[in-house]
Amino acid sequence: SAHADPVKLRLGTLAPKNSLYHRVLLEMGDAWKKAQGDGSGITIFTDGAQGGETDTVKRMRIGQLNGGLLSVVGLREIEPSVSALQTMPLMFRNWDEVDYVREKMRPSIEKKFYDKGYVVLSWGDAGWVRFFSREAATHPADFKAMKMFTWAGEPEQMEIMKALGYQPVSLETSDILPALQTGLIDVVPATPYYALAAQFNGPAPHMLDLDWAPIVGALVVTRKAWDAMSPAGQNTLREAAASAGDKMRANARIEVDEAVAAMIKRGLKVTPLTPELEAEWRRFAAGIYPQIRGKLVPADTFDEVSRFLAEYRSRK
Amino acid sequence: MKTTPTPIYDAPSERTGHWWRLHRGEDVVLSLVLGAMVLLPLIEILLRSMLSVGIANAATLVQHGVLMVGMLGAAVAAREGRLLAMGGLASALPAPLQRPARMFAAAVAMAVSATLADASLAFVAVEREGGNLLAYGVPLWWAQAVMPLGFALIAVRIAVRSGETPRARFVTVALAAGLWLLAQAAGSGVTTPGLILVLFAAALGAPVFMVLGGAALALFAGDGLPLAAIPLNHYQLTVNPSLPAIPLFTLAGYFLAEGGAPNRLIRVFRALFGRFRGSAAVVTVLLTAFFTSFTGASGVTILALGGLLMPLLAGVRYPERAGIGLITSGSSLGVLIPPALPLILYAIIARQPIETMLLAAVLPAMAMTTLLMLLGIWRQPKEACGDRVDRGETLAAVNAAKWELAIPLVTFGGLASGLVTPTETAALTALYAFFIEVVIYRDLSLRRDVPRVMTECGLLVGGIILILGMALGFTNYLIDAQITEQVSDWVQSSITSPWVFLLALNLVLLLVGAFMDIFSAIIVVTPLIVPIGKAFGIDPVHLGIIFLANMELGFLTPPVGMNLFFASYRFGKPVGEVARAVLPALAVLGAGVLLITYWPALSLFLPRLVAH
Ligand code: NA
Ligand code: NA
Repeated sequence: SAHADPVKLRLGTLAPKNSLYHRVLLEMGDAWKKAQGDGSGITIFTDGAQGGETDTVKRMRIGQLNGGLLSVVGLREIEPSVSALQTMPLMFRNWDEVDYVREKMRPSIEKKFYDKGYVVLSWGDAGWVRFFSREAATHPADFKAMKMFTWAGEPEQMEIMKALGYQPVSLETSDILPALQTGLIDVVPATPYYALAAQFNGPAPHMLDLDWAPIVGALVVTRKAWDAMSPAGQNTLREAAASAGDKMRANARIEVDEAVAAMIKRGLKVTPLTPELEAEWRRFAAGIYPQIRGKLVPADTFDEVSRFLAEYRSRK
Repeated sequence: MKTTPTPIYDAPSERTGHWWRLHRGEDVVLSLVLGAMVLLPLIEILLRSMLSVGIANAATLVQHGVLMVGMLGAAVAAREGRLLAMGGLASALPAPLQRPARMFAAAVAMAVSATLADASLAFVAVEREGGNLLAYGVPLWWAQAVMPLGFALIAVRIAVRSGETPRARFVTVALAAGLWLLAQAAGSGVTTPGLILVLFAAALGAPVFMVLGGAALALFAGDGLPLAAIPLNHYQLTVNPSLPAIPLFTLAGYFLAEGGAPNRLIRVFRALFGRFRGSAAVVTVLLTAFFTSFTGASGVTILALGGLLMPLLAGVRYPERAGIGLITSGSSLGVLIPPALPLILYAIIARQPIETMLLAAVLPAMAMTTLLMLLGIWRQPKEACGDRVDRGETLAAVNAAKWELAIPLVTFGGLASGLVTPTETAALTALYAFFIEVVIYRDLSLRRDVPRVMTECGLLVGGIILILGMALGFTNYLIDAQITEQVSDWVQSSITSPWVFLLALNLVLLLVGAFMDIFSAIIVVTPLIVPIGKAFGIDPVHLGIIFLANMELGFLTPPVGMNLFFASYRFGKPVGEVARAVLPALAVLGAGVLLITYWPALSLFLPRLVAH
């Protein structure tokens, strides 16, 4: 129909106000508003004003919000299988590999979201998880004497750490900083950007230069909001969201380096890895893949990822 | 010297009425959930430090314990007619109008509770579709189902207590049903009449949770937003990872309060400070401040010490209202006294080093305490003279109270040792308090007293958590309608001088303190004000001290003033009367806040000294 009812789009995100994420969302909203027509509007709640990511999803379910820019923490609340990518430590070697596998898997993941009542508009990244520790550590075995943070809302990370022979301590994210200060934990796996914002580098000034696992995110809207839009509104939103996603992904890649540089200025010491050491880490992680496949990640998803990776590597 | 503690409340344990078996069963469940909340974190500490494993989702289970205790405790409070209320207007009405006024207030409260039950049902239905698990294969919605059940039970109990005869109760229910139908018919036009009705009912004695919850319902309905957002906010509050510290510290405070701790501590403080002029006021202020700083719960201080300090003050012919004011306000001083929980919570949220925050609070806390002591001394009748105490008595008093004086060591020794989290510290403190009062001092009997004390604690915490959840619902409306954001933008565009900003900040924080409890205020407001403060060149540590000093005032200001509620309970006075009694203290502490605000060195001197 040419004259659809006005649609009010209300999106939530943890990204700070006036950050690049906020700006590209506003840009996207403006483009969509023009296409959707008179009376339509978009409101973006930044800084977690509507609560954390799981709260944002809960608010989408009851209809208070109808979309959000979410990391896996929120996305897994909708569709748990989405956490597969970051539940496979050292599976990916760089962003190109992540991008390739994700592009291949997109249709099936997005179908799952659609069946649950959500439309994925675009994918983004939030960086690589690295280890921040109180003492310097290089070899996989060096971390066995250290207590490692795992998030209380993510029991499978606890399983992975146990399988590796590490000592996981399950805590809430608000406990991380005091727990590092008092020695309740010695290591925090976190993206450099998050570590900088949360000042983990103070009590944990050593970072291992190893990309443990990628943290991915996505921009989603509820199917209810999507179905209320005009076809022109839908098309424009898809295009604008795709370009917003490109900008966010490009930014996330720069952010990792910028955050590390900022922390080095504040006394962070980066522990470098030789190719031999990196190989040692990869053998170490591969040792628990049999325990991950079929238990923490569905066997077919695991095999799919492995197959796409082999495909990508053989082509290069 | 063996002390005989007098129960603060004779919590219901009688076997009377048609429903007594059900009521006692309800009390037992409430106590068991509280007990599990103490034990679960402690088992987790043991498993973690000895076997390097933990309980699956231990933290999540404890958080949902808060949800259960909150709803169940509130339902018990409704059963006993002890939901916190503000208004005393009904008692000022002519006699023939009093009963209809009470029934009207009950009808509005019942309509609001029933609407909340309905909204909770919608929330749980949606969550059920979401399909999340709590732990060990148990669906999350099973725990969440306590919300519609609790609100429905509260609605029923408000109706039951609204009149003595079945006919009177029927009138209340009919009136509530009428209001419900009107609200449904009004649609989004419900906001203005709804707000007026709710305020009117509050003045006539309807419970506080009804004011905040009813206002939130009316506002959300007016914007065409789902009412399920309000139970969602309540849920979000109760499962906040930091929140279990509140019931757990309150429980610790309850064990101490109902045991002989107040008598033993009052003896220590009288021995140490009794010889000074105005000693009754001095002992009152120091003891309430101390008790709050080490239990972390100001309300329990009022409950525990109120009954002991009032006779002490009466003994020197201290005016009753001024005495109530002094105890009520003194109990809020602990917020700034290290190692108080709010200081730690602010440090975490504002991402400041905890030790810096604790150091920064020392001098401001001393300033606030001194100011209140001076007010207390000034108001004490002049001719009264202090006690003379010899050294032997001082040592004997300290020796008798040594297990209780060691509580700060337990609380913060645990944290500093690197073995426990802040929530676990609270559980540890509760267990320690239980142990010393039941096993060492034997002031509480395991069978006779402990269930009664735990039920009473659950009732009180439930009533308060209900208010906090509804307050968060109200705040969420301010966020949703982008009112908070507009204020923030307006501040940054219209204020240029840091001095003016600080004054405006104090006014805003006074308002925040009026409407929110300290813990949700820290969680919600800190992230908002720290960046604005930084833009005006204000140190986040200094800002935190200003913030918490304002929250001390917030304990004493209606409509959400924790200490007012507790004092109203303890002294059997309407909240409005207690609010008038604390006005002089509010003025003096307000001056203290200005001192802290405009003299940054008071907060920053010690941290800088230690840093160099
Ligand atoms: Na207040
Ligand atoms: Na308050």
